[in-house]
Amino acid sequence: MNGDDLIERILREGERRADEIEVFYARGLSVGAEIKKGVLGNAEESEAWSMAVRTVRDGRIGFSATSDPDRWQECLDAALASGRLATPQQWGGFPKPADLAGTPSANDENLVVAVEDAARMVDDLLSGAAEHPVEVVGGGANLARSYLAVANSNGVFYGMGRTAASVSLETIREQSTGYEFDASPFLAEIDPRSVGERAAWLAARSLGGREIETGRYDVVLSPIAAASLIGQVLLPALSGRNVKAGRSFLADKVGEQVFDECLSVYDDPFAPGLGSAAFDAEGVPTRRLVFVEQGVLRGFAYDLKTGYRYGEGSTGSAVRSGGEGPGIGFHNLFIDGPRVKEPGDERAIWIHDVVGAHTANPFSGDFSVEISNPFWMEGGEPVEPIRTAMLSGNIFEMLADLGGLGNDTRRVGRLTIPSIRLNNQQIIGK
Amino acid sequence: MAEVRYYDIRCVRGEITLVDIDSGVVESAGTSFFDKAVVRVLGPKGWGILTRDHVDLDSRREVESLVEAASRLAAVTEDHLDLADAPRGVLPVPPLVEDPREVDLEEKTRLLAGIEEAARVPGVGNTRARYTEGIDSVRFLDSSGNEYAYEAVRSGFSVLAIASRNGVMQMGSERDHITTGFNLRGKQDLGRKAGEVAVSLLDAKIPKGGAKRAVLDPELAGVFTHEAVGHASEGDLVREGASVLGGKIGEAIGCAGLVIVDDPTLHEFGFMPVDAEGVAVERTEIVRDGILRSYIHNRETLAAIGNGVPGHARSEHGAPPIVRMSNTFIENGDATYDEILEECRDGILLIGSRGGQVDPGRGVFQFNAEYGYLVEGGELAGMVRDVSLSGEILSTLHNIALIGNDRKMSPGYCGKGGQSVPVSDGAPHLLLEGATIGGRGE
Repeated sequence: MNGDDLIERILREGERRADEIEVFYARGLSVGAEIKKGVLGNAEESEAWSMAVRTVRDGRIGFSATSDPDRWQECLDAALASGRLATPQQWGGFPKPADLAGTPSANDENLVVAVEDAARMVDDLLSGAAEHPVEVVGGGANLARSYLAVANSNGVFYGMGRTAASVSLETIREQSTGYEFDASPFLAEIDPRSVGERAAWLAARSLGGREIETGRYDVVLSPIAAASLIGQVLLPALSGRNVKAGRSFLADKVGEQVFDECLSVYDDPFAPGLGSAAFDAEGVPTRRLVFVEQGVLRGFAYDLKTGYRYGEGSTGSAVRSGGEGPGIGFHNLFIDGPRVKEPGDERAIWIHDVVGAHTANPFSGDFSVEISNPFWMEGGEPVEPIRTAMLSGNIFEMLADLGGLGNDTRRVGRLTIPSIRLNNQQIIGK
Repeated sequence: MAEVRYYDIRCVRGEITLVDIDSGVVESAGTSFFDKAVVRVLGPKGWGILTRDHVDLDSRREVESLVEAASRLAAVTEDHLDLADAPRGVLPVPPLVEDPREVDLEEKTRLLAGIEEAARVPGVGNTRARYTEGIDSVRFLDSSGNEYAYEAVRSGFSVLAIASRNGVMQMGSERDHITTGFNLRGKQDLGRKAGEVAVSLLDAKIPKGGAKRAVLDPELAGVFTHEAVGHASEGDLVREGASVLGGKIGEAIGCAGLVIVDDPTLHEFGFMPVDAEGVAVERTEIVRDGILRSYIHNRETLAAIGNGVPGHARSEHGAPPIVRMSNTFIENGDATYDEILEECRDGILLIGSRGGQVDPGRGVFQFNAEYGYLVEGGELAGMVRDVSLSGEILSTLHNIALIGNDRKMSPGYCGKGGQSVPVSDGAPHLLLEGATIGGRGE
């Protein structure tokens, strides 16, 4: 039985036993070439198949998932059993078929999932890294193609293809390390050679850093460092579920100037990107969502469950990861705003990455992390490496008073983000 | 077929049961199923690795065609690997005090709700509890004729409480996971503790960052052991030149009396009866009396760099095995908790863990405490929050001034190479000199 036939069969069977049923189906093929000791070490190929079932009966939502097509009946039974325990809630039904307005941009017809292609990308990474005197200690290239479908008993049956190409490289020189990466749905957007060159530059140039005294300094967070901290703290605070549960710093602040007026945050599901989609993980048509406009909080993200429960309506923000049920997330999130002047023009500490961003307090926004590849920056150029230090602060306070946004916008996972200048920050030296 | 020096296949078929309760609402309570296989072929040089759903290990034809496909992948590799000989054998799995499969989902939900409710002490606005149960049926076979099967049962929960007052929000969280049976009964105390910590943190101060004398509680000292030493002793990182502990066997990397162990045979949350390459597991002393003695290895890293013990290969289901820690700890010393506080005099006591991270090549690590207390004149003074600690692997272990006698293990999950596996870490109370404390207080 192929995927579509199986979905139909589960829908028909589920309809008899519940008010409504939804099937989410994913299959994918990926290959990877992994670098070990500076050459191609492992070659990998992965085929995955998964199916998740949700049933609704009298406002009770049941869920189960399986990676084994032969166990679909057990999976359906488990979903119904799980629904019997869930607390009943306001429920207005799975979506009905709609005209999907936008066109997603996450599928590269020219991407071939072949290990030989991944091996060539590894060669390019390594030749880029050879520009600087470093050892390559890890990294690799991956190519993937997947098909996702969501179908429900109201007649929705949407499917989409997705592709992804990604590369990463880890380098070292003595005790100085460098790490760079890139990922895109489009193979042509990935330049393994330049990723390799940057990873090598970081390790080579960070060698021999000078100590820094504890004190207050102006800093520039690179897009990677900014994405790590913002991903841990700001994104959960924009989830409608956290807002309604009293777990978001931003709850009750809609319409208020919460951040610097040069900062806007929006989700554009139709922009090219790894999360680009015309429908979300529950079959709700996606739309462009503005969360923060020139520093003013405009709204939050909802899925069907949270939307119905609190009378807010889904914003088409359901996403799925692993074998779990849908949750609230983002498709292609942009941190954006006017660029007045280059944030690195005046002397500052450039912070390439941070160690331990996941230990930030997601509710209060407080954090203290170790910084990676920090440099003194003058006139927009790194002039002198700094050995090691910690950065402490509060992310919500930082975003309320920015020193500027850079012109170096890049994609970091599902975030598209520039470098961010922050003045007068707490740095702790050794 | 391309040359095949060795192959193995590891299948994990199982069930995951999750219950999620958010402020009294049962958000979900149910079971999902998976069936994953990883096929590895060692070709003339390196590994070709295939991941599939639902492989029939008893079908000779299916096994042969998978090995053939993996050997074609192996043909593009260039890194020449050898596999060291290693002892074989499977330990018995600990008996289950109570089998979670014999407790129905309704009772699990009710017990979890009791823990979640206990966290709702006055001042707490939001509570969330999550039960996680995993039943893994593992089958392994290799081209050397080894074959084994075992079942791993894991059961546990986490509970989170958030207290808020005048726009300030603070959290308390507790968790407990075991491999020896069902683990939800009689645990309301942990819920209450999460609630009480959240409320008391509303009045806690943010400490001033800088170098201080620090006392680490057993949970945080366990994370310290894991981040500061454990990862850097992993044979794959050492082989690839990505660890500052490379080439340091026989050198003093810590204070006298310091013993650091990784022991997969203990019936703690990181227990495994055999490793993911079919190698027998054994207690491995990484550091003895402050001297680096052993790396932790899989067969290929042992062959490449030696100096250590194999049986430390682990994998998440559906992912290739890599070198990982299991149950990692610092052995007891002889200082009492009171002696440690007294010796600290003026400094900071750090309690609980919000996680940590390490860059083993640079030798720098960071981790975060759930909360702490200032220590003044050997006595606990005001409570502090949002405090983290960073340090350098090669100097930090020399700065351990006192090792306590009250080791405790704490369960958790460790991420590496995109894979998450169950681990435990532990230590007695430790006194660290000149620790770099991060905090934005003035």
